[in-house]
Amino acid sequence: MAKRPILGLFKDANAAADAGDALKSSGVSDRDIDFLTDAPYPEGAFGEREEKHRLYLFPFIGATLGLSAAILLTSMTQLAYPLVTGGKPILALPAMAVVSYEGTMLGAILFTCLGVIFESRLPKLKSGLYDTRITEGYIGVLASVEDGDLDQTTGILNQAGAVDVKTEG
Amino acid sequence: MSSHSESHYPHDMWVFPDAQSTTQDVARKTASTPGILKLGLAIAGVLAILGVVGFVLRMTSDGFSDYGAWGYYAAIFSYIFVITSSAPLVAVAFRLTKSHWRRPISRISELFALVGVVNVILYIPLIYLLPPINNPNFVPGMHGELQIRKTIWMEVPFGAPHLWDFLGIISLAVLSLIILWVSVVPDLAEARSSANGWRSKLYTLLAGHWYGTKKQWIHQKISLALLGALYFMMVVFVHFLIVSDFAMSLIPGWKDSILPPLYTVTGFQSALSIILIIAFTMRKWGGYEKYFGTSVFWSASKIQIGLTLLWTYHLFAFFITLWYGRMELEQNILRYLMFESYSWIFWLNVIFIFLIPFWILVWNPVRKTAWGPALAGIFILVGNLLFQIRIFVGAFNAGDIYHLGLFRVPPPVFPDVWDVFIVLGGIGLVAFIYLIGTRILPALSVWEVKEGAMYQKMGTLYRGEYLVLAKPE
Amino acid sequence: MQEGRVLPAEQVNRDLLRSILETPKWFWPVVGILGLIVLIAAIIIGYMINRGLGITGLNRPIFWGFFITNFVFWIGISHAGVMLSAILRLAKAEWRRPATRAAEVLTIFSLMTAMIMPIIHTGRPWRILYWAFPYDFARGIWPNVRTPLIWDPSAILTYLTSSTLFVLIALIPDFAVLRDRTTGISHRIYGLLAMGWEGNARQWKLQIIAGVLLSALILPVFVSVHSIVSWDFGMAVAAKSWHSTIFAPYFVVGAVHSGVSAVAFVLILLRWMYGWQDYIRHEHIDGLGRLLVVVATGWFYFFVMEVIFGIYGREADEIAVRSLQFIQEPFQAWTIIFIVTTYFIPVALWLTRRARRNLWIMSLACISVNVGMWLERYLIIVPGLANRTAFTFSWNSYVPSAYEAIIVGATFAFVSMLLLLFSRVFPLIPLYDIKEGDILKNESVKIGRRVVPAVFRED
Repeated sequence: MAKRPILGLFKDANAAADAGDALKSSGVSDRDIDFLTDAPYPEGAFGEREEKHRLYLFPFIGATLGLSAAILLTSMTQLAYPLVTGGKPILALPAMAVVSYEGTMLGAILFTCLGVIFESRLPKLKSGLYDTRITEGYIGVLASVEDGDLDQTTGILNQAGAVDVKTEG
Repeated sequence: MSSHSESHYPHDMWVFPDAQSTTQDVARKTASTPGILKLGLAIAGVLAILGVVGFVLRMTSDGFSDYGAWGYYAAIFSYIFVITSSAPLVAVAFRLTKSHWRRPISRISELFALVGVVNVILYIPLIYLLPPINNPNFVPGMHGELQIRKTIWMEVPFGAPHLWDFLGIISLAVLSLIILWVSVVPDLAEARSSANGWRSKLYTLLAGHWYGTKKQWIHQKISLALLGALYFMMVVFVHFLIVSDFAMSLIPGWKDSILPPLYTVTGFQSALSIILIIAFTMRKWGGYEKYFGTSVFWSASKIQIGLTLLWTYHLFAFFITLWYGRMELEQNILRYLMFESYSWIFWLNVIFIFLIPFWILVWNPVRKTAWGPALAGIFILVGNLLFQIRIFVGAFNAGDIYHLGLFRVPPPVFPDVWDVFIVLGGIGLVAFIYLIGTRILPALSVWEVKEGAMYQKMGTLYRGEYLVLAKPE
Repeated sequence: MQEGRVLPAEQVNRDLLRSILETPKWFWPVVGILGLIVLIAAIIIGYMINRGLGITGLNRPIFWGFFITNFVFWIGISHAGVMLSAILRLAKAEWRRPATRAAEVLTIFSLMTAMIMPIIHTGRPWRILYWAFPYDFARGIWPNVRTPLIWDPSAILTYLTSSTLFVLIALIPDFAVLRDRTTGISHRIYGLLAMGWEGNARQWKLQIIAGVLLSALILPVFVSVHSIVSWDFGMAVAAKSWHSTIFAPYFVVGAVHSGVSAVAFVLILLRWMYGWQDYIRHEHIDGLGRLLVVVATGWFYFFVMEVIFGIYGREADEIAVRSLQFIQEPFQAWTIIFIVTTYFIPVALWLTRRARRNLWIMSLACISVNVGMWLERYLIIVPGLANRTAFTFSWNSYVPSAYEAIIVGATFAFVSMLLLLFSRVFPLIPLYDIKEGDILKNESVKIGRRVVPAVFRED
């Protein structure tokens, strides 16, 4: 059966953490629970699952591509029309090193930024269940539960102290 | 409310020593001489004796008239000087930035002040070796030679450079000893009642006045801050003097404004490395694991990798500025110090100081261990020795120092057996004195660690367990 | 260092979004005046392109004057962003929080302004495309890679791109706040920019890691940019007093010095303009002042090294330039002013806590630094090119024309205008950074009778 999202809005972080515990106790997997906040809380503050990511791959890939592009650019362009300037060799490694360094860093940073957006699962084309009060300091506990469990989940959230509970549709 | 808080740190990241037992534990460790330490002392002692033998035989075979034969002596003096003078800065600098992670290693760094006395003694032969600034063979009307060789002592004031450099080294030694004393007094005061024999007498002499009153603590804090800032500026200044007089000035035509900063950065990098190696050793084999969490290494390793990159940056800036203009004299400097005469030592220098440590330290999981920064540190120390050899042996054997420039590239000078003895002896002497020092004074700054224990604890925020770090100022 | 009070999220949003959601009365008149100055400068630039560089005071052999001085100056200002944002983030200094976005944005606008300078300086700016863009436009000749004048655009564009992306990534959560607080077309635009951000744990974790990772990646770029700009001078062997190996770190530290001073001044202005006393507190300015003492002293060390080793070689040409800089008029007066305003006055002030916490004194000190640092670049460039050496037949003096002065002055107006316009659409203080600081400082440690403020540390 398809899971349906349900959002509980809490004013207090402790209450939100209690709600998370209660949901887990009632059998909701922690993969199906998300805490939506307007500021970063320390990792694990709500007892949420650890998020694995592969962001660190992106700078390496970007750096490799950037370095390759820069080396190709600086070497092939100078060999295409060899013109000795200032007595320096056509393939002047120190000069190529400077441009290659910049290319490497640019590639690494570009790919890191892409990686951040990608690993954050952005851009999110379909807007999920959300409440604008989250950016006013409320904490959203977003759970995905079976259709038949919606009422029970609503009760759990209310019991934990939710100021509002929303479901889709 | 459920309370399954979980720590997000490796188990040995943060340690919270028990203040009550720290003093006795450290005093006991200071007074003991475990087997591994005795072995270390024996090896260091043997090396030191070899060094003396090498020095004496060098003196009898070459005397002090031919300074070229003493290049390796100058290199090992510089190596010891730059590391031991920079080491107290680790305590000084990170006290100024109020970094809590420096607490367990600050005494390790300050103890290098004991070796500062060795710098003064090792410098004395160099006073006789350094050629005069004025050209003794200069005749008016002479072409191609300088009356005064290129030097930072423009008008050659009285005593330049020997006297002033000597005063600089003595000042550093004295200042670092004062900083050590000011820092160690509270620990000695605590240990004086439980110490026996000569330790008790010594501790009473050094710290008899200390009772730990609020005024004394405030004075100590201000003294350490002011002396530290003064020491920092003195170190940078004396580094500038030594490398300019004993290296740059002896290679004709070598005008290099970045050499003093590069020299200083090399010193900082190596000093931090040796401190991390000692900290690792103390933690692994010295029984100090209660006092050194891996957070010390994690924080220090970021500085270490930063200094490694800074070193490479300075070296590249030097190289590319000289390389670009294609001027013959500058190209000869590059050929001499980097690409021809000392090319193999140069490349090894770069590999050991930059390439290997960088690829060790770039991985965060490795930086979070104690062995990672220590391993990188070993390579950095080897690389620094190669750097000093390249610069100082090169400087001492660059040919006629009163020439306008380096018109021909001199050949490299390889070490003979006395040079090897001298180099090993210098390292052995430093190790010997340092190890003896750790038996006299506590190698852990007990008062600082206890202060840190007041300000650090684990705390719970909702469902997570995190470090709580108090910020008193 | 925890002097502020913990504010509720609604108040933080209200205070920090005030510049966007409301328009102060002074805003458009001030932007209008600044825009007018920029417009006048733009007209002068057009006139200059039409008439040629002869309308400036530049002449053989002093081919670089106000424009290049200004170029180096603005590159210098751009270094503050990374210094404050990246280094303080990596050092986990809590007091960086209100300063980071303003510093990063100042970086971007400074870089853009700096880039304009050499472009207009060419006299025929469209030709830069042929010289610098990596394509063989004519006769198969590609740009010459073996010159710092090509390393410059590669470094500056890398830094500009990196800084812009850094700011944009960090702005995503704030776009979400603005999305939730606006309606109509603004809501749609902010919604697009927020890309569907909801603030779940994964997104926040990656934001924090991105901040640290990008900081670590941008730091080497920041060091390289001004080093490469310094090599525009350092590589040259013909201009005496330029050919010095220390130029790279000297310029970088000088850039940090002037940049951080500029940011401190901007923060004081923002605090006053928008009433952000709760966010930009005396402790932040105090922290910046203490940092500046270290940076200024480091700069002074490099300056002394540069001068000593300039004279070290005892070459007549270089001694002549140094003599021109330090002993002869008019440069002697400017040199004294430069040294005093860059180091002695500001550092003397910054050594006392009272002065560091006095916003008027800090503003004056920071302006003093920037006046001095502008002069420093001028005193490196112009005396070096003046060629006042023995037996030289092509020496000259340089008197900047009014056109150059107006263009240089307009760059300050340009950056200020861009900052104000930015503050109209995006928050200049990162909201979530402030809120995170409030979350982390909820704990305190009791030692005896004293309660010491504390923070939670996640790593």
